[in-house]
Amino acid sequence: MLSQAMFPWILLTAGFLFTLGALGVLIRRNPLVVFMCIELMLNAVNLALVGYSSFLSSEEGQVFAFMVIVVAAAEVVVGLGLLTRVFSIGRELDVDDLDEMKR
Amino acid sequence: MNALLAAVLILIAISALGVVFSPQTIYSALSLVLTVGLLAVVFLVLNAQFLFAVQLIVYAGAVMVLFVFIIALLDPASEERPRITDPRLALGVLAIAGICTAVFIAARNGITYATSCTTQATTCMHGYAVGSLAATGALGADPYSTFGFPQNAVNQAGNVQVLANQLFHTYVLPFEITSLLLLVAAIGAVYLTRRTRTGIRRDPRIPESWSDDLMERAEPPVPTAPAGAGAPVAEARR
Repeated sequence: MLSQAMFPWILLTAGFLFTLGALGVLIRRNPLVVFMCIELMLNAVNLALVGYSSFLSSEEGQVFAFMVIVVAAAEVVVGLGLLTRVFSIGRELDVDDLDEMKR
Repeated sequence: MNALLAAVLILIAISALGVVFSPQTIYSALSLVLTVGLLAVVFLVLNAQFLFAVQLIVYAGAVMVLFVFIIALLDPASEERPRITDPRLALGVLAIAGICTAVFIAARNGITYATSCTTQATTCMHGYAVGSLAATGALGADPYSTFGFPQNAVNQAGNVQVLANQLFHTYVLPFEITSLLLLVAAIGAVYLTRRTRTGIRRDPRIPESWSDDLMERAEPPVPTAPAGAGAPVAEARR
């Protein structure tokens, strides 16, 4: 039987994963790792949703976590397609180097 | 169960640190595989059996295989670690500590725990709802004796059945919109990764003056068709 005292620790882990993913997005320069850190943030949100769903005896959090998983899969497909495109036109994979949109 | 959950949460934190701070991209990917697998274990402990299966199939199966394929295809160079003295890193660590502390304090103090709950009111939290059901005998004498993972009170019809009921009745419109989203993503991926050799790429209806220099390859294009049969067809199409 899961004790309810574990629930804050689940939320703590979710917050830790989310902030760690945000830190990774900010300090890493490889766009593949940046995508992985975004996945980490989405997984943190899923953990919080499922934790609340179990804690509050409501299944709607699981429905929303399912939607988040679908959106994450679509995002990965488009993002990795973009990266292969950037690589195939001969650019280096570095988010500090890919700054045309800033100009 | 509590010890298992605590151990898994600690392992999740460690492997997530590996995702962010590994210098090699492939180590980050493998750490992320470990993280999503352990998150699936947490979902199972939290009575979300359907999401456990989806997490393993979609994340640990599809998404991470895609990541590993792209890493093998692109062969990204390793990246030096961020220096410890980097002020941005210190700021990030401070932000992590602050947000985690705030979340933990809010979760510990901001939620009122029901101390006694004998009815199946909707305000009952999970553990007390199950406990009250067990007290009335609805779940048998000892609902947790046969299986380690307790039946959630909301999941009595089965987790997949409950989620399907929600997905196909209450949330049927968002569910259909996600199918549209997946279709658009698939078309976009095919469009982005299509071959761009000259002669095959250009639509004959697009004038030559519309050359897009971002789309041009860095090296000169390789001739695609042999000089015999293919080239006149390609020329005729242009």
